[in-house]
Amino acid sequence: MARILDLHLHSEASDDSRAPVEAYLKWLARKRDERPIEGLVLTEHRQFNRAADYRALEDKYGILILKASEVETDYGHMLVYGVNDDILARFDFRNVRLNAQELINEVARMGGIAMPCHPGRPTIGLIEHYQKKPPLEGVVGVEALNGGSKKGEDERVAGLVQAYGYHAFGGSDSHLVSFVGLCATEFDRDIKNIEELVEALRTGGYRPVDFRPKKPQPSVTPEGLTYGAGL
Amino acid sequence: MNILYFEDIEEGDEIAGLDLFLSKDLVRRYARTANMYFPRFTDDEGARAEGLPGMIAPGVMSMGLLARMISDWNRAATIIRLGTTFRNPVLPDRMIHLRGAITQKNEADHTAECDLWMENDEGERWVVGTATISLPTKL
Repeated sequence: MARILDLHLHSEASDDSRAPVEAYLKWLARKRDERPIEGLVLTEHRQFNRAADYRALEDKYGILILKASEVETDYGHMLVYGVNDDILARFDFRNVRLNAQELINEVARMGGIAMPCHPGRPTIGLIEHYQKKPPLEGVVGVEALNGGSKKGEDERVAGLVQAYGYHAFGGSDSHLVSFVGLCATEFDRDIKNIEELVEALRTGGYRPVDFRPKKPQPSVTPEGLTYGAGL
Repeated sequence: MNILYFEDIEEGDEIAGLDLFLSKDLVRRYARTANMYFPRFTDDEGARAEGLPGMIAPGVMSMGLLARMISDWNRAATIIRLGTTFRNPVLPDRMIHLRGAITQKNEADHTAECDLWMENDEGERWVVGTATISLPTKL
């Protein structure tokens, strides 16, 4: 059971990450006081890691592990939760130009949910596409807090959420072990499996939570070169 | 000289960070030395003509700075592999912050996996990566 889940991260199954799932879990065990994450959702790029079975790791570390996907559409990147055989038969996740409206409609019809991630990011985020094309129908929520966002990206999403009444969630988008759980989503109810996650994401009752450490002010002068104390 | 053995480090340890002012002169000197004296690495106007926001640091320079952080932290560490993803052009004339952490220890061969990244004052991570390092053992 979990109420605080990191809904967006990548393991070594993705082509741009070298992070083993167990390394994420060990890291969270060490950082429990700073990042009280109770569940992870692995969102591998352009694939669904059907074969992976994380039940032994769940038991060993006491953290819920669910599987999902990050896909690429004509409205930017989207996270697909509740991936099943019907969805995989309908869509080729390797296609980097999936039709976003079809994806949202069909995934919902087949029991899942597709939600835009890092919508404030140039090129691959929803907001830039909304400036050129009509808004999508059936969007329930967007990733309003992303651990990899640059300055201004998440701030733009706040406007999107307000304008369209979307639910907001968060995820670390971690590709590195040490970034896991820096951003996450807090639910009002316990999540035990992917079906309950999809239902909760559809109905609301969740919010992004930020566990990133507050930045210290730089103390080094332009002439200086010092060894930092670390984060 | 800071020497750390395999037995001295733990998973979760931070690698001592490095904060520095990345001056345009430093980038130009690097570009000249590396035989990469191209406009994008030497002047703002030339870089803007290529569609960049201003002159940038070469990617290999960023990798070199991350490698320097490791060697400054532990002179005994040998870098076996270093891989990076460039998420944003590295813009000079500002402070940059290099950070890292030990994420896995491999007892069998006395190596360790590290996360590494470069960020700006706002915490935007411009370069992220991982490295495998080999360490001497006390055994």
